Amino acid sequence: MDDTLDISGVSEEGEEQITSEQVFQQLEEIWVNERLSPNLMLCRTDITECILEQMQEMEENIARAKKTDLKVSLHQLELDRIRYVLSSYLRCRLEKIEKHAAYLIKKESSDGPSVSRLSPEEFMFAKELTSGVTSHLTASALKHMPKNLQTLNLEDSGKVPNLDHYVFLRVNKAEEGIIVDCETDVQNEDKIDLEVDAQHIMRYKLIENLVENQTVSLI
Amino acid sequence: MEHSEMEFIAEKQKVKIVPNFSMSKIYFISGEVGPFQPGLPTEVPFWLAISLRQRQKCVIHPPDWLTIERLEEIKEAETTTELFTPLPNTHFREMCQLLLTHAKPNIQNADAVRTLVKDIWDIRAAKLRSSSDKFIRVQAGHARIDNLTLMEINIARPFLLASLDHLHTLRTSKQFTKKTRNKEY
Repeated sequence: MDDTLDISGVSEEGEEQITSEQVFQQLEEIWVNERLSPNLMLCRTDITECILEQMQEMEENIARAKKTDLKVSLHQLELDRIRYVLSSYLRCRLEKIEKHAAYLIKKESSDGPSVSRLSPEEFMFAKELTSGVTSHLTASALKHMPKNLQTLNLEDSGKVPNLDHYVFLRVNKAEEGIIVDCETDVQNEDKIDLEVDAQHIMRYKLIENLVENQTVSLI
Repeated sequence: MEHSEMEFIAEKQKVKIVPNFSMSKIYFISGEVGPFQPGLPTEVPFWLAISLRQRQKCVIHPPDWLTIERLEEIKEAETTTELFTPLPNTHFREMCQLLLTHAKPNIQNADAVRTLVKDIWDIRAAKLRSSSDKFIRVQAGHARIDNLTLMEINIARPFLLASLDHLHTLRTSKQFTKKTRNKEY
């Protein structure tokens, strides 16, 4: 919770003035990346909180204004579009958390507090989901098994995201010497340079960090 | 992603409209738009243009590349080269579709334009199929695909990425067994 407070404090002081336009662009960016990446991306509550704030403010303005005004209905239309992007983004994250809950909880503790993929709420959701699944499996099947077969470890048996998944990407900032493995022979590693605006197909694992720091965008 | 989502993303592109009403600037969360004066052209996001058009409040002006002459040139270039040519817009297909639906009265020879767009699309779709096939055959692990539009990528995504994933799995398991066998002897 402290984290989110800190971040909003910084933006209000205006160390780096960001317009709502830029925040929305970032939201669209993380939305598309999240939709197309095989694993859960880093948690960006700074962006989602900021957009939510903007939307609330706009909703209040709309509530105060005359309903028949053309401007009001256009604002409403924009609000609906933003809400769609935001909920699609959050829903996509929830789907991934449902799929890889145990893996993500384990990763969250092994990564340490500096990187967080799950927001506090998402972490709670993952915890509750895994404990629910465990108690269901125990109650419906495991307790009827012989004693030596009753252990269940979701972390080992749960699904793990396939980081070798291929993705399409577009380059935002130039980057040199990305290793793409020449697949026909493991020993030979190929290096390529990423030029701005170029589009590529490659494995997600090779560029995972570049997606997170916005050097490339998934398309 | 769904095609409708691709269209949604395309709708943030700017398009020129001529309004028939006057209104001060609108401060949207996603940026400011206007002011609007009757008869004075202004640029707005496509979703706004569609909404205004449906209320009979404006006329949408098609971009200058949506003409028979320009599309003929693109088609010619597309047929003569083996590679993909750059299209005037990364949302080519979605933009054409939206424009032909919502701005049809303002497009000259709209039916001929529609046919040309379809022709260009078909030529590129055939190239997409043959180049995906080639890509899989040579078993490359990486490809550069500069001039593909977003809709083409979206169409190729399910089958191309799935087959690349499968090939990767097969290759890595083959290497794995080779390695373990080497150890044994």
